Amino acid sequence: MPYPTATLDVIGLWTGWVLMLMIYSYPLYKENPVYRFAEHLYIAVMLAVSLTVNFSNVMRMCITPLMQGDITMIVPLVVGLMIYAMLIPEYRWVSRYPIALLVGAGFGLGIRGSIGPNIQDAIVSTITRPTDGGAMAWINFLYIAVGLVCSVLYFLLTYEHSGAMQVPTRVGRLFIMVALGAYFGNTVLFRFTMLTGRAQFFLQVLKLIPM
Amino acid sequence: MSFLANIDRRVFYWILFIALMVPFLNPIGFPIKIAENTRDLYEGITGDSVEPGDVWIINFGYGVSAWSECHPGVTVCAKALLREGAHIILIGPHTDYELTYNHLLETAKEDFDAAEYGVDWVFLGYITGQEAAIAQLASNMRSVYPTDHFGTPLDDIPMMQNVNTWHDVSGVLSSDTGDWGGYFLTMWQEAYGVPMAQIGIAMLGSTGIPRWLAGNYFGMSVGSRGGAELEMLIGEPGDAIIAMDSISVSHLLIVIAVILANVGLLVERGRGS
Repeated sequence: MPYPTATLDVIGLWTGWVLMLMIYSYPLYKENPVYRFAEHLYIAVMLAVSLTVNFSNVMRMCITPLMQGDITMIVPLVVGLMIYAMLIPEYRWVSRYPIALLVGAGFGLGIRGSIGPNIQDAIVSTITRPTDGGAMAWINFLYIAVGLVCSVLYFLLTYEHSGAMQVPTRVGRLFIMVALGAYFGNTVLFRFTMLTGRAQFFLQVLKLIPM
Repeated sequence: MSFLANIDRRVFYWILFIALMVPFLNPIGFPIKIAENTRDLYEGITGDSVEPGDVWIINFGYGVSAWSECHPGVTVCAKALLREGAHIILIGPHTDYELTYNHLLETAKEDFDAAEYGVDWVFLGYITGQEAAIAQLASNMRSVYPTDHFGTPLDDIPMMQNVNTWHDVSGVLSSDTGDWGGYFLTMWQEAYGVPMAQIGIAMLGSTGIPRWLAGNYFGMSVGSRGGAELEMLIGEPGDAIIAMDSISVSHLLIVIAVILANVGLLVERGRGS
Protein backbone atom coordinates (compact mmCIF):
# COMPACT_ATOMS: atom_id res chain seq x y z
CA MET A 1 0.00 0.00 0.00
CA PRO A 2 1.68 3.30 -1.01
CA TYR A 3 2.02 6.30 1.28
CA PRO A 4 -0.99 8.54 0.66
CA THR A 5 -0.44 11.68 -1.39
CA ALA A 6 -3.88 13.32 -1.32
CA THR A 7 -3.90 16.21 1.18
CA LEU A 8 -6.94 14.95 3.10
CA ASP A 9 -5.47 11.46 3.41
CA VAL A 10 -2.17 12.83 4.71
CA ILE A 11 -4.01 15.01 7.23
CA GLY A 12 -6.04 11.96 8.32
CA LEU A 13 -2.88 9.91 8.73
CA TRP A 14 -1.12 12.50 10.86
CA THR A 15 -4.27 13.14 12.91
CA GLY A 16 -4.38 9.42 13.71
CA TRP A 17 -0.68 9.49 14.62
CA VAL A 18 -1.06 12.45 16.97
CA LEU A 19 -4.23 11.04 18.59
CA MET A 20 -2.47 7.71 19.12
CA LEU A 21 0.36 9.44 20.99
CA MET A 22 -2.20 11.43 23.01
CA ILE A 23 -3.80 8.16 24.12
CA TYR A 24 -0.42 6.55 24.88
CA SER A 25 0.52 9.54 27.04
CA TYR A 26 -1.55 7.86 29.78
CA PRO A 27 0.46 4.62 30.13
CA LEU A 28 3.77 6.21 29.17
CA TYR A 29 3.41 9.27 31.43
CA LYS A 30 0.26 9.69 33.53
CA GLU A 31 -3.34 10.83 33.22
CA ASN A 32 -3.41 14.30 31.71
CA PRO A 33 -5.77 16.65 29.83
CA VAL A 34 -4.34 15.66 26.45
CA TYR A 35 -5.15 12.00 27.10
CA ARG A 36 -8.62 12.86 28.39
CA PHE A 37 -9.37 14.94 25.30
CA ALA A 38 -8.36 12.08 22.99
CA GLU A 39 -10.34 9.58 25.05
CA HIS A 40 -13.50 11.69 24.97
CA LEU A 41 -13.07 12.38 21.28
CA TYR A 42 -12.70 8.66 20.58
CA ILE A 43 -15.81 7.73 22.55
CA ALA A 44 -17.82 10.52 20.90
CA VAL A 45 -16.74 9.54 17.39
CA MET A 46 -17.40 5.85 17.99
CA LEU A 47 -20.84 6.62 19.40
CA ALA A 48 -21.65 8.88 16.45
CA VAL A 49 -20.49 6.25 13.94
CA SER A 50 -22.43 3.51 15.74
CA LEU A 51 -25.58 5.63 15.84
CA THR A 52 -25.31 6.55 12.17
CA VAL A 53 -24.64 3.00 11.01
CA ASN A 54 -27.48 1.54 13.06
CA PHE A 55 -29.92 4.28 12.07
CA SER A 56 -29.04 3.73 8.39
CA ASN A 57 -29.60 0.02 8.92
CA VAL A 58 -33.07 0.60 10.38
CA MET A 59 -33.85 2.86 7.42
CA ARG A 60 -32.67 0.21 4.95
CA MET A 61 -34.22 -2.80 6.67
CA CYS A 62 -37.45 -1.34 7.98
CA ILE A 63 -38.44 2.20 6.99
CA THR A 64 -37.71 1.92 3.27
CA PRO A 65 -39.69 -1.35 2.81
CA LEU A 66 -42.50 0.16 4.91
CA MET A 67 -42.64 3.25 2.70
CA GLN A 68 -42.74 0.94 -0.31
CA GLY A 69 -45.88 -0.72 1.04
CA ASP A 70 -44.58 -3.62 3.16
CA ILE A 71 -46.84 -3.01 6.16
CA THR A 72 -45.46 -6.02 8.10
CA MET A 73 -42.48 -3.83 8.88
CA ILE A 74 -44.65 -1.97 11.38
CA VAL A 75 -44.22 -4.92 13.77
CA PRO A 76 -40.41 -4.72 14.28
CA LEU A 77 -40.62 -0.95 14.29
CA VAL A 78 -43.22 -0.90 17.10
CA VAL A 79 -41.44 -3.65 19.07
CA GLY A 80 -38.18 -1.73 18.72
CA LEU A 81 -39.77 1.52 19.89
CA MET A 82 -41.26 -0.27 22.91
CA ILE A 83 -37.73 -0.73 24.31
CA TYR A 84 -37.46 3.03 24.71
CA ALA A 85 -40.35 2.90 27.19
CA MET A 86 -37.74 2.05 29.83
CA LEU A 87 -36.80 5.72 29.78
CA ILE A 88 -40.23 6.63 31.20
CA PRO A 89 -40.51 5.19 34.74
CA GLU A 90 -44.32 4.71 34.75
CA TYR A 91 -44.25 2.85 31.41
CA ARG A 92 -41.07 0.87 32.03
CA TRP A 93 -43.08 -2.37 32.10
CA VAL A 94 -43.77 -1.98 28.35
CA SER A 95 -40.07 -2.46 27.59
CA ARG A 96 -40.12 -5.90 29.22
CA TYR A 97 -42.05 -7.41 26.32
CA PRO A 98 -39.47 -6.73 23.58
CA ILE A 99 -36.67 -7.71 25.97
CA ALA A 100 -38.48 -10.99 26.77
CA LEU A 101 -38.90 -11.56 23.04
CA LEU A 102 -35.18 -10.97 22.41
CA VAL A 103 -34.03 -13.16 25.30
CA GLY A 104 -36.47 -15.94 24.38
CA ALA A 105 -35.49 -15.93 20.73
CA GLY A 106 -31.81 -15.81 21.68
CA PHE A 107 -32.09 -18.78 24.02
CA GLY A 108 -34.21 -20.76 21.59
CA LEU A 109 -31.82 -20.24 18.70
CA GLY A 110 -28.78 -20.76 20.92
CA ILE A 111 -29.97 -24.08 22.30
CA ARG A 112 -30.93 -25.31 18.84
CA GLY A 113 -27.37 -25.32 17.56
CA SER A 114 -25.25 -25.43 20.68
CA ILE A 115 -25.67 -29.00 21.86
CA GLY A 116 -23.99 -30.53 18.80
CA PRO A 117 -20.76 -28.55 18.42
CA ASN A 118 -20.32 -27.30 21.98
CA ILE A 119 -21.17 -30.47 23.92
CA GLN A 120 -21.59 -33.61 21.80
CA ASP A 121 -18.77 -33.04 19.27
CA ALA A 122 -16.43 -31.74 21.96
CA ILE A 123 -16.95 -34.86 24.09
CA VAL A 124 -16.55 -37.22 21.11
CA SER A 125 -13.39 -35.39 20.07
CA THR A 126 -12.00 -35.62 23.61
CA ILE A 127 -12.59 -39.35 24.08
CA THR A 128 -11.50 -40.40 20.59
CA ARG A 129 -7.95 -41.74 20.68
CA PRO A 130 -5.49 -40.25 18.18
CA THR A 131 -4.83 -42.27 15.04
CA ASP A 132 -1.66 -40.46 13.98
CA GLY A 133 0.77 -37.86 15.27
CA GLY A 134 2.92 -40.21 17.37
CA ALA A 135 3.76 -39.90 21.06
CA MET A 136 3.03 -36.16 21.21
CA ALA A 137 -0.54 -36.71 20.02
CA TRP A 138 -1.05 -39.32 22.75
CA ILE A 139 0.39 -37.05 25.45
CA ASN A 140 -1.92 -34.29 24.24
CA PHE A 141 -4.89 -36.67 24.20
CA LEU A 142 -4.23 -37.93 27.74
CA TYR A 143 -3.59 -34.42 29.03
CA ILE A 144 -6.90 -33.17 27.63
CA ALA A 145 -8.83 -36.26 28.76
CA VAL A 146 -7.47 -36.16 32.33
CA GLY A 147 -7.91 -32.38 32.47
CA LEU A 148 -11.51 -32.60 31.27
CA VAL A 149 -12.57 -35.36 33.66
CA CYS A 150 -10.85 -33.80 36.68
CA SER A 151 -12.16 -30.31 35.92
CA VAL A 152 -15.72 -31.60 35.59
CA LEU A 153 -15.32 -33.53 38.88
CA TYR A 154 -14.25 -30.31 40.58
CA PHE A 155 -17.72 -28.90 39.88
CA LEU A 156 -19.45 -31.99 41.27
CA LEU A 157 -20.65 -30.25 44.39
CA THR A 158 -23.12 -32.89 45.62
CA TYR A 159 -20.21 -34.97 47.02
CA GLU A 160 -17.61 -33.84 49.51
CA HIS A 161 -14.18 -33.49 47.90
CA SER A 162 -12.55 -36.06 50.19
CA GLY A 163 -11.51 -39.71 50.01
CA ALA A 164 -11.46 -40.96 46.43
CA MET A 165 -12.63 -37.56 45.21
CA GLN A 166 -9.83 -35.58 46.83
CA VAL A 167 -7.02 -36.16 44.33
CA PRO A 168 -9.01 -35.77 41.09
CA THR A 169 -10.75 -32.60 42.29
CA ARG A 170 -7.43 -31.05 43.35
CA VAL A 171 -5.95 -31.97 39.98
CA GLY A 172 -9.07 -30.48 38.39
CA ARG A 173 -8.55 -27.24 40.28
CA LEU A 174 -4.96 -27.09 38.99
CA PHE A 175 -6.15 -27.62 35.42
CA ILE A 176 -8.73 -24.85 35.82
CA MET A 177 -6.06 -22.49 37.16
CA VAL A 178 -3.75 -23.32 34.27
CA ALA A 179 -6.61 -22.81 31.78
CA LEU A 180 -7.59 -19.46 33.27
CA GLY A 181 -3.94 -18.38 33.30
CA ALA A 182 -3.52 -19.38 29.68
CA TYR A 183 -6.72 -17.55 28.75
CA PHE A 184 -5.56 -14.43 30.54
CA GLY A 185 -2.14 -14.75 28.89
CA ASN A 186 -3.81 -14.97 25.49
CA THR A 187 -5.81 -11.84 26.28
CA VAL A 188 -2.69 -9.91 27.22
CA LEU A 189 -0.79 -11.12 24.18
CA PHE A 190 -3.66 -10.14 21.89
CA ARG A 191 -3.35 -6.60 23.26
CA PHE A 192 0.37 -6.75 22.55
CA THR A 193 -0.33 -7.67 18.96
CA MET A 194 -2.54 -4.60 18.74
CA LEU A 195 0.34 -2.59 20.18
CA THR A 196 2.63 -4.09 17.56
CA GLY A 197 0.24 -2.80 14.89
CA ARG A 198 0.43 0.67 16.44
CA ALA A 199 4.25 0.51 16.55
CA GLN A 200 4.24 -0.35 12.85
CA PHE A 201 1.84 2.53 12.14
CA PHE A 202 4.05 4.90 14.17
CA LEU A 203 7.04 4.11 11.96
CA GLN A 204 5.04 4.03 8.72
CA VAL A 205 3.70 7.56 9.20
CA LEU A 206 7.26 8.78 9.78
CA LYS A 207 8.21 6.98 6.54
CA LEU A 208 10.84 4.94 8.41
CA ILE A 209 9.33 1.73 7.02
CA PRO A 210 7.11 1.24 3.96
CA MET A 211 3.31 1.37 4.29
CA MET B 1 17.00 -7.46 44.13
CA SER B 2 13.64 -6.67 45.75
CA PHE B 3 13.35 -3.49 43.64
CA LEU B 4 12.55 -5.81 40.72
CA ALA B 5 9.09 -6.41 42.19
CA ASN B 6 8.42 -2.67 42.39
CA ILE B 7 9.66 -1.28 39.07
CA ASP B 8 7.45 1.58 37.87
CA ARG B 9 5.19 0.08 35.20
CA ARG B 10 5.91 3.06 32.93
CA VAL B 11 9.53 1.94 32.64
CA PHE B 12 8.32 -1.36 31.27
CA TYR B 13 5.86 0.34 28.91
CA TRP B 14 8.62 2.57 27.50
CA ILE B 15 10.95 -0.40 27.01
CA LEU B 16 8.11 -2.31 25.34
CA PHE B 17 7.07 0.56 23.08
CA ILE B 18 10.63 1.08 21.84
CA ALA B 19 11.52 -2.62 21.67
CA LEU B 20 8.50 -3.37 19.50
CA MET B 21 9.69 -0.90 16.88
CA VAL B 22 13.22 -2.28 16.56
CA PRO B 23 12.29 -5.48 14.65
CA PHE B 24 10.42 -3.38 12.07
CA LEU B 25 13.61 -1.39 11.42
CA ASN B 26 15.95 -4.41 11.66
CA PRO B 27 14.03 -7.64 10.96
CA ILE B 28 15.30 -10.62 12.98
CA GLY B 29 13.72 -13.40 10.91
CA PHE B 30 12.48 -15.81 13.57
CA PRO B 31 11.45 -19.09 11.91
CA ILE B 32 7.71 -19.71 11.39
CA LYS B 33 6.41 -23.28 11.42
CA ILE B 34 3.06 -23.88 9.78
CA ALA B 35 0.47 -25.39 12.12
CA GLU B 36 -1.86 -28.19 10.98
CA ASN B 37 -4.98 -26.13 11.65
CA THR B 38 -3.70 -23.34 9.38
CA ARG B 39 -2.70 -25.79 6.67
CA ASP B 40 -6.16 -27.36 6.81
CA LEU B 41 -7.72 -23.92 6.39
CA TYR B 42 -5.57 -23.13 3.38
CA GLU B 43 -6.17 -26.51 1.77
CA GLY B 44 -9.90 -26.09 2.35
CA ILE B 45 -10.01 -22.95 0.21
CA THR B 46 -7.63 -23.97 -2.55
CA GLY B 47 -7.13 -26.79 -5.05
CA ASP B 48 -9.81 -29.44 -5.32
CA SER B 49 -11.74 -28.00 -2.38
CA VAL B 50 -13.01 -25.06 -4.44
CA GLU B 51 -14.70 -25.07 -7.85
CA PRO B 52 -14.92 -21.97 -10.05
CA GLY B 53 -18.24 -20.28 -9.35
CA ASP B 54 -18.52 -21.53 -5.77
CA VAL B 55 -19.94 -18.89 -3.46
CA TRP B 56 -18.15 -18.22 -0.16
CA ILE B 57 -19.04 -15.86 2.65
CA ILE B 58 -16.30 -13.89 4.40
CA ASN B 59 -17.45 -12.29 7.63
CA PHE B 60 -15.50 -9.28 8.94
CA GLY B 61 -16.18 -10.05 12.59
CA TYR B 62 -13.41 -7.68 13.66
CA GLY B 63 -12.94 -3.95 13.89
CA VAL B 64 -10.03 -1.73 12.95
CA SER B 65 -8.34 -2.39 16.30
CA ALA B 66 -7.90 -6.07 15.38
CA TRP B 67 -6.59 -5.54 11.86
CA SER B 68 -3.11 -6.66 12.91
CA GLU B 69 -4.56 -9.98 14.16
CA CYS B 70 -7.22 -10.84 11.63
CA HIS B 71 -6.69 -8.89 8.45
CA PRO B 72 -3.58 -10.64 7.05
CA GLY B 73 -5.42 -13.98 7.21
CA VAL B 74 -8.54 -12.54 5.58
CA THR B 75 -6.39 -10.99 2.84
CA VAL B 76 -4.77 -14.34 2.01
CA CYS B 77 -8.12 -16.14 2.02
CA ALA B 78 -9.74 -13.55 -0.25
CA LYS B 79 -6.79 -13.77 -2.65
CA ALA B 80 -6.88 -17.57 -2.64
CA LEU B 81 -10.63 -17.76 -3.27
CA LEU B 82 -10.56 -15.21 -6.10
CA ARG B 83 -7.66 -17.07 -7.74
CA GLU B 84 -9.70 -20.29 -7.60
CA GLY B 85 -12.52 -18.51 -9.43
CA ALA B 86 -14.80 -18.53 -6.41
CA HIS B 87 -17.29 -15.74 -5.73
CA ILE B 88 -17.17 -13.92 -2.43
CA ILE B 89 -19.90 -12.34 -0.32
CA LEU B 90 -18.48 -9.88 2.20
CA ILE B 91 -20.40 -8.92 5.33
CA GLY B 92 -19.50 -7.19 8.61
CA PRO B 93 -21.12 -6.83 12.04
CA HIS B 94 -18.79 -4.10 13.32
CA THR B 95 -19.73 -0.46 12.80
CA ASP B 96 -16.36 0.22 11.16
CA TYR B 97 -17.01 -2.55 8.61
CA GLU B 98 -16.63 -0.16 5.68
CA LEU B 99 -13.06 0.72 6.67
CA THR B 100 -12.20 -2.98 6.80
CA TYR B 101 -13.76 -3.55 3.37
CA ASN B 102 -11.78 -0.66 1.85
CA HIS B 103 -8.63 -1.94 3.54
CA LEU B 104 -9.15 -5.38 2.01
CA LEU B 105 -9.50 -3.83 -1.44
CA GLU B 106 -6.07 -2.25 -0.82
CA THR B 107 -4.29 -5.26 0.70
CA ALA B 108 -5.55 -7.64 -2.02
CA LYS B 109 -5.56 -4.92 -4.68
CA GLU B 110 -4.25 -6.94 -7.63
CA ASP B 111 -6.80 -9.70 -7.16
CA PHE B 112 -9.76 -7.39 -6.65
CA ASP B 113 -8.64 -5.24 -9.61
CA ALA B 114 -8.62 -8.36 -11.77
CA ALA B 115 -12.11 -9.31 -10.57
CA GLU B 116 -15.39 -7.53 -11.17
CA TYR B 117 -17.74 -6.21 -8.51
CA GLY B 118 -21.14 -7.88 -8.65
CA VAL B 119 -19.75 -10.78 -10.67
CA ASP B 120 -16.86 -12.07 -8.57
CA TRP B 121 -17.58 -10.42 -5.24
CA VAL B 122 -20.26 -8.44 -3.55
CA PHE B 123 -20.22 -6.34 -0.40
CA LEU B 124 -23.52 -6.70 1.46
CA GLY B 125 -22.36 -4.54 4.35
CA TYR B 126 -23.51 -4.20 7.91
CA ILE B 127 -25.35 -6.96 9.75
CA THR B 128 -26.76 -6.78 13.25
CA GLY B 129 -29.04 -9.03 15.29
CA GLN B 130 -26.49 -11.66 16.32
CA GLU B 131 -27.62 -15.29 16.17
CA ALA B 132 -31.10 -14.48 14.86
CA ALA B 133 -29.70 -12.55 11.90
CA ILE B 134 -27.23 -15.31 11.01
CA ALA B 135 -30.03 -17.90 11.21
CA GLN B 136 -32.19 -15.76 8.94
CA LEU B 137 -29.27 -15.27 6.54
CA ALA B 138 -29.22 -19.03 6.05
CA SER B 139 -32.88 -19.23 5.08
CA ASN B 140 -33.44 -15.97 3.21
CA MET B 141 -30.56 -13.58 2.51
CA ARG B 142 -32.86 -11.03 0.94
CA SER B 143 -34.74 -10.56 4.18
CA VAL B 144 -31.51 -9.56 5.90
CA TYR B 145 -30.00 -7.73 2.96
CA PRO B 146 -32.66 -6.31 0.60
CA THR B 147 -29.78 -4.46 -1.11
CA ASP B 148 -26.01 -4.55 -1.10
CA HIS B 149 -24.01 -1.93 0.78
CA PHE B 150 -24.31 0.51 -2.12
CA GLY B 151 -28.09 0.25 -2.37
CA THR B 152 -28.36 -2.07 -5.38
CA PRO B 153 -31.17 -4.65 -4.98
CA LEU B 154 -29.69 -8.16 -4.77
CA ASP B 155 -31.76 -9.28 -7.77
CA ASP B 156 -29.92 -6.72 -9.91
CA ILE B 157 -26.50 -8.10 -8.97
CA PRO B 158 -25.45 -10.88 -11.40
CA MET B 159 -23.60 -12.91 -8.77
CA MET B 160 -26.57 -12.89 -6.37
CA GLN B 161 -29.31 -13.87 -8.81
CA ASN B 162 -29.26 -17.54 -7.83
CA VAL B 163 -27.99 -17.05 -4.31
CA ASN B 164 -30.45 -16.70 -1.45
CA THR B 165 -30.01 -19.51 1.11
CA TRP B 166 -27.35 -21.74 2.67
CA HIS B 167 -27.92 -24.18 -0.24
CA ASP B 168 -26.23 -21.71 -2.56
CA VAL B 169 -23.15 -21.16 -0.40
CA SER B 170 -20.14 -23.49 -0.49
CA GLY B 171 -18.46 -22.30 2.68
CA VAL B 172 -18.08 -19.65 5.33
CA LEU B 173 -14.93 -17.97 6.62
CA SER B 174 -15.60 -16.02 9.76
CA SER B 175 -12.88 -13.74 11.02
CA ASP B 176 -13.59 -12.85 14.60
CA THR B 177 -12.73 -11.09 17.77
CA GLY B 178 -15.91 -12.37 19.39
CA ASP B 179 -18.96 -14.52 18.92
CA TRP B 180 -19.86 -14.29 15.24
CA GLY B 181 -17.94 -17.42 14.27
CA GLY B 182 -19.93 -19.24 16.95
CA TYR B 183 -23.18 -17.99 15.40
CA PHE B 184 -22.18 -19.31 11.99
CA LEU B 185 -21.11 -22.55 13.67
CA THR B 186 -24.51 -23.15 15.27
CA MET B 187 -26.71 -21.68 12.53
CA TRP B 188 -24.87 -22.81 9.39
CA GLN B 189 -22.33 -25.54 10.10
CA GLU B 190 -24.26 -27.49 12.72
CA ALA B 191 -27.71 -26.83 11.29
CA TYR B 192 -26.98 -27.45 7.59
CA GLY B 193 -23.45 -28.83 7.39
CA VAL B 194 -22.02 -25.84 5.54
CA PRO B 195 -18.19 -26.07 5.75
CA MET B 196 -16.71 -23.28 7.79
CA ALA B 197 -13.40 -22.08 9.15
CA GLN B 198 -12.37 -19.33 11.48
CA ILE B 199 -9.69 -16.66 11.22
CA GLY B 200 -9.65 -15.60 14.85
CA ILE B 201 -7.63 -13.50 17.21
CA ALA B 202 -5.15 -15.39 19.41
CA MET B 203 -7.65 -15.45 22.29
CA LEU B 204 -10.06 -17.50 20.20
CA GLY B 205 -7.52 -20.29 19.76
CA SER B 206 -8.63 -21.91 23.00
CA THR B 207 -12.24 -22.18 21.79
CA GLY B 208 -11.57 -22.59 18.08
CA ILE B 209 -8.91 -25.29 18.11
CA PRO B 210 -11.19 -27.79 19.95
CA ARG B 211 -13.83 -27.08 17.30
CA TRP B 212 -11.27 -27.76 14.58
CA LEU B 213 -10.21 -30.99 16.35
CA ALA B 214 -13.89 -31.99 16.59
CA GLY B 215 -14.32 -31.37 12.86
CA ASN B 216 -16.72 -28.42 13.20
CA TYR B 217 -14.20 -26.07 11.60
CA PHE B 218 -12.32 -27.45 8.62
CA GLY B 219 -9.45 -25.16 9.57
CA MET B 220 -8.48 -22.35 11.87
CA SER B 221 -6.03 -19.48 11.70
CA VAL B 222 -5.00 -18.22 15.13
CA GLY B 223 -4.01 -14.58 15.42
CA SER B 224 -1.20 -12.82 13.59
CA ARG B 225 0.78 -16.03 13.73
CA GLY B 226 -1.94 -17.76 11.70
CA GLY B 227 -1.92 -14.85 9.26
CA ALA B 228 1.85 -15.19 8.86
CA GLU B 229 1.49 -18.93 8.22
CA LEU B 230 -1.16 -18.26 5.57
CA GLU B 231 1.11 -15.69 3.92
CA MET B 232 3.83 -18.35 3.78
CA LEU B 233 1.42 -20.90 2.31
CA ILE B 234 0.33 -18.56 -0.48
CA GLY B 235 3.96 -17.51 -0.97
CA GLU B 236 3.42 -13.77 -0.56
CA PRO B 237 4.97 -12.27 2.58
CA GLY B 238 2.85 -9.48 3.97
CA ASP B 239 2.04 -7.53 7.12
CA ALA B 240 1.79 -10.57 9.40
CA ILE B 241 5.23 -11.99 8.55
CA ILE B 242 6.74 -8.52 8.98
CA ALA B 243 5.00 -8.11 12.37
CA MET B 244 5.87 -11.58 13.71
CA ASP B 245 9.39 -10.56 14.83
CA SER B 246 7.94 -7.68 16.80
CA ILE B 247 5.26 -9.89 18.34
CA SER B 248 7.88 -12.48 19.32
CA VAL B 249 9.94 -9.72 20.99
CA SER B 250 6.86 -8.59 22.92
CA HIS B 251 6.27 -12.14 24.15
CA LEU B 252 9.92 -12.45 25.13
CA LEU B 253 9.73 -9.21 27.10
CA ILE B 254 6.66 -10.43 28.96
CA VAL B 255 8.45 -13.65 29.93
CA ILE B 256 11.48 -11.65 31.15
CA ALA B 257 9.20 -9.26 33.08
CA VAL B 258 7.37 -12.16 34.76
CA ILE B 259 10.68 -13.81 35.74
CA LEU B 260 12.16 -10.55 37.09
CA ALA B 261 9.02 -9.68 39.08
CA ASN B 262 8.92 -13.18 40.59
CA VAL B 263 12.61 -13.06 41.50
CA GLY B 264 11.98 -9.71 43.20
CA LEU B 265 8.94 -11.06 45.02
CA LEU B 266 10.78 -14.15 46.24
CA VAL B 267 13.69 -12.07 47.50
CA GLU B 268 11.26 -9.73 49.29
CA ARG B 269 9.47 -12.70 50.88
CA GLY B 270 12.80 -14.23 51.89
CA ARG B 271 13.75 -11.03 53.71
CA GLY B 272 10.34 -10.83 55.35
CA SER B 273 10.61 -14.32 56.79
